[in-house]
Amino acid sequence: MPAPITAIESNLPWLVFLLPTAAGLLIFALGRFSRLLREGTALVGLAVTFIVSVQIAAQVLQGHVLTAWGQNLYVDGLSALMELAGSLMGFIVVIYSMRFIPHETDSHETSAVRRQTIYYGLLLLFLGTMNWTCATNSLVMLWVSLEATTLATAFLVTFYWRRQSLEAGYKYLMLVTVGMTFSLFGCVLVYTAAIPHLGGDAGKALLLTSLGDVVHLIPANIALLAAAFFVVGFGTKAGLVPFHTWLPDAHAEAPAPVSALLSGIVIKVGAYALARTVTMFAPTYPAVVVFVAILCSASMLIGMGIAFVQDDLKRMLAFSSVAQIAFVIEGLGLGTYLGIYGGLFHLINHTTIKALLFLSAGAIMYATGTRKISELSGLSRHMPITAFCFLVGALAIGGMPPLNGFWSKFTLFLAVGDAGLLWAAVIGVVTGMMSLACFTLAAYRVFWGGYRAPAFAAANPHVKEVPATMWVGMVALAALSIAIGVYPQLVHPLVNSATRCILSILGQ
Amino acid sequence: MTGLVYGSNIVITLMVAHLIASVLAVEWRSLRWSVVALALQSALLAGIFASFASLYPGAQYLWAWVATALVTKVVIVPVLLWVYINRLPEREVQPVIGFRLSIVLVGLMTVLFYRLMHTYIEFVAPTPDALSEPARSSLAIAFAVFGLGLYVLIARRDAVKIVIGLVLLENGVHLSLVTLAPTLPETALLGILTNVVVTAWLLLYLTGAIYRQLGTTDTATLSTLKR
Repeated sequence: MPAPITAIESNLPWLVFLLPTAAGLLIFALGRFSRLLREGTALVGLAVTFIVSVQIAAQVLQGHVLTAWGQNLYVDGLSALMELAGSLMGFIVVIYSMRFIPHETDSHETSAVRRQTIYYGLLLLFLGTMNWTCATNSLVMLWVSLEATTLATAFLVTFYWRRQSLEAGYKYLMLVTVGMTFSLFGCVLVYTAAIPHLGGDAGKALLLTSLGDVVHLIPANIALLAAAFFVVGFGTKAGLVPFHTWLPDAHAEAPAPVSALLSGIVIKVGAYALARTVTMFAPTYPAVVVFVAILCSASMLIGMGIAFVQDDLKRMLAFSSVAQIAFVIEGLGLGTYLGIYGGLFHLINHTTIKALLFLSAGAIMYATGTRKISELSGLSRHMPITAFCFLVGALAIGGMPPLNGFWSKFTLFLAVGDAGLLWAAVIGVVTGMMSLACFTLAAYRVFWGGYRAPAFAAANPHVKEVPATMWVGMVALAALSIAIGVYPQLVHPLVNSATRCILSILGQ
Repeated sequence: MTGLVYGSNIVITLMVAHLIASVLAVEWRSLRWSVVALALQSALLAGIFASFASLYPGAQYLWAWVATALVTKVVIVPVLLWVYINRLPEREVQPVIGFRLSIVLVGLMTVLFYRLMHTYIEFVAPTPDALSEPARSSLAIAFAVFGLGLYVLIARRDAVKIVIGLVLLENGVHLSLVTLAPTLPETALLGILTNVVVTAWLLLYLTGAIYRQLGTTDTATLSTLKR
């Protein structure tokens, strides 16, 4: 049996979001003076945040939760998992950007320095807001910080500052803000309805940790309404169908490292918020579980169905994110140990795989200047490392053993079947096979492509492998994907601890 | 707020004026006047908060809501809108729905949303307090204003007008927040309002950039990514 969880006071919950925020502000202030100040500050900020996250994870794995500011900051296994993933991904993305971003800015305009400063500053600010989301214990601050992650990433989406990216950024900001407004209603409903059941203590009714105990006492109509609002609001943030329309545009038009961050981490923060809120209602109201499963199944089929017909590699990856995030949320929505475990495991795996695929797509664009599958062929000759990385990602996202995507999807199918939702399990399996077909086909056409390859090579004689600072992150992610696949116990302690933390808040 | 002053003329007057100002902000085709109506609408919102704060004993903490609403919604957001409208076309891009039909629709919607919420408040009222006046009317008004904001987002094509619609929608949320959760801590309140201001600013900044590149603020032209 798991050891009892003890709460200890600590400064780490403060540091984990204040450090990256401070680094981001520092970059805004000093970044224009030199490249070292921009990239160096970003790397140091991320490295320090990563170390803090590791310390938090170490404490959490010993059965502690870290609190600060009364109970307002509360870091448990789930927070630690997200913070660790976020700072690691941020680090990889910044290293990748060191070559990629100058390449993308120089040809456009002279204000490249200013744009790079804003780029790295916002990257760090995003990590700060995201870690704040994961550290806060207040229902309303969860909403505030989640909306702040949208604001921090909006101008990363519009980085190229051309027609399509401005359009994507406008849509992203507008649709996510409107969607998130609904979840604010949800927060207020739950907060107000919970006050009488917590002895009239308004301060306590704001805390996620105390809401779990009383959520079954709230009138059923209010609870269901709030749950629906949470699904709409946080579901928009996560990119669930039918609230996904902003996602393919934003994820495809952003620079590749930002796409990796958006699909890898930003939509996961929406899933995190769902795990903290909607999961509370699952034990009392089975209807919530079915509602979430229906939405997720629709997301899987529609997302993967549209991904299949894309010619734009990045749009294909973006639509597949719509399907993959649905796996995560379906598991979390079940409210059972196996379901939450599978959801969180897939969250980690999708983070590594999708970031790997987006960074590979960015490498293809860097080398060839196009992201249209029909314009590419036979790239494996020129870019063997990228070809290997993309193939690993394609197989992993399709759930091919022994890669990491297999284990989490397998866990999820078992959990969904266990919960009596066989139809949802079948849809999941079908979607998994569609992903496998879609991405191995794309990998084949881009990197091998049979008879068209010689013509492509003749027309593009100068295509060569990307620089080491770019592929090193991709290789690290591919290695991680294989390592977790061969030895899933690698992430088990943290995922297990995070699952137990969610369940303990549910009072189980 | 149960058992306290009901039917205070001031509150009713403010609420009706608030609704009228909302309709004006939606329907005025001159963006400058639309922003003036929006500022007036927000000022009346702050007035409603102030009337709650002064009518109910022990509700002094509501003055924080009044002050923050005045600063963010009456000063900062309208000034931002004004500054950007000076750089953009003053006249709203011709909406899909013509003026007369739009007026009729907006009138019908406002009444319908108000009646719906006022009649079926039991479904959304988290506490018995919300069932009694003036919380009941206040929530119904908030719902109607929220609906007006959504209408602008869906039916209008002008990027600036859509930002005005978003602010209207947020004002509806704001009123419902005060009605349902007046005890919300100041940090949460400030966080929510900061988000609203920053969102409006970023959207206007993007609108300015879109206008410089495309020469229009018509969102119907922003469709290269659709498929």
